[in-house]
Amino acid sequence: MAINAPFINEFKKGYHILFRKQWPPIVGGLLIGLLAILIEAWSRPWGIVAGIRNWADWLFYGVGLYAQKPDNPFLFSPSVMDLGLILGSFAAALLAKEFAFRMPPKLETYKGFFGGLFMGVGSSLALGCNVGAFYTPLANLSASGFLMMIGLIFGAYLGLRYILWELENLPSPSPALAATSQKQPPSFDWKMTHPYLGAVVLVGLVLAAHFYGRYSNVEVGGLLLFGAAFGIVIQRCRFCFVRAFRDPFMTGDAEIGKAVVISLIVAVIGITVLKAKGFRSESMYVVPSFGWGSLVGGVIFGIGMVVAGGCGSGTLWRVGEGNLKLWIALFAFATSNSLLTVWLRSWGIRQKLGTAVFLPNYFGWEGAILVVVVISLIWYLVLAWNEQTNKFTVEL
Amino acid sequence: MDDIKPDEVLDCRGLSCPMPILKIKKAMANMSAGQVLEVLGTDPGTRNDLPAWAKRTGNEYLGEKEGSGFIHFFVRKA
Repeated sequence: MAINAPFINEFKKGYHILFRKQWPPIVGGLLIGLLAILIEAWSRPWGIVAGIRNWADWLFYGVGLYAQKPDNPFLFSPSVMDLGLILGSFAAALLAKEFAFRMPPKLETYKGFFGGLFMGVGSSLALGCNVGAFYTPLANLSASGFLMMIGLIFGAYLGLRYILWELENLPSPSPALAATSQKQPPSFDWKMTHPYLGAVVLVGLVLAAHFYGRYSNVEVGGLLLFGAAFGIVIQRCRFCFVRAFRDPFMTGDAEIGKAVVISLIVAVIGITVLKAKGFRSESMYVVPSFGWGSLVGGVIFGIGMVVAGGCGSGTLWRVGEGNLKLWIALFAFATSNSLLTVWLRSWGIRQKLGTAVFLPNYFGWEGAILVVVVISLIWYLVLAWNEQTNKFTVEL
Repeated sequence: MDDIKPDEVLDCRGLSCPMPILKIKKAMANMSAGQVLEVLGTDPGTRNDLPAWAKRTGNEYLGEKEGSGFIHFFVRKA
């Protein structure tokens, strides 16, 4: 029928824009801000580290290092969010035919491991990562987010200096894949099946959420879907908090940094509405790390994320895409965070990392939003100015 | 893409952000105007990053070609 052809063409075009082409960072920023508000309204704020620590806790419990049985990872909300993120990213990557197990060269595997280690240590001190100690606290009007931001900026700079040093001084890593310029075309292109697999994963996620609901766990089921939504949006945009902090120093590029600022402004306004109206408690995600915990933790985390090539959320979505360097990073990240958290608790240091500072207690509701928005806009302007003048850009 | 003769070939397979762009930047710095660099890569991000970098630095992005489990990218130094 003549009608079908243009309809199919429109469908193909729409499919390509949605699932094959990379989304612009600003779209990602806006959607992430929106999702951050919605997930907190649904149940709880967005976070990453508590979930992966739970997985490491299970590992250590399994080998007999820990005596206490950890929470069920399929019911523990941080873990469910993280699982959703990985699976959402996995589905999105499959749909875009971007999923592949990518083996890094040897030097990159070391960077993955040590980068992950630094992230685990840093997030243990800061009581969270780029999401749980920077983005979400700021959106929740916790002053600790500002100290984390400062730490991340310094850490990203230091991490970049290492990368540039490595570029000049360490021998070029030979790729893990054999150099083959002429290869026989494969008899069956498995990538053709990926989009269908991706659709299956999405359907599976929806079904899983439904079954959560059947067993009186609607809230957790919803968190799985929200996690997946984060994963899909972030993978489609290749949204990278690391770039927001690193690119101004590396190339001067401010596009992702600006997207993070816009995202933060959207999130803080929405979440303040939730808190001011009493839908969510004021203390929610006011992280008690305003002090050296956020500052020092932020610097260490910043170094780690640049070396690893992914932050908290970045590690998870790249795991979903098949990037094996980040699988290694995730392992080091989760295990080091788990161990250090236990040690900090037992040494009584965890309470000394900082205090919980809720901005409205000092500035009132409007003042508090203003503080976050104004500081964010100042950051935006500095990023834009640096993009033009390259004053902070490090020469290669 | 098939009839482009590269002057240099840079193998970035297995590398992920930011290594491909940094290595490309370094390789291009050592090339003369008009020369073509072929980059072999596996990072999906390079698809967007390389054209954007080329545009920002005034170099000419020529395009990409699908390889066997990786992508060939071509860029000409201005």
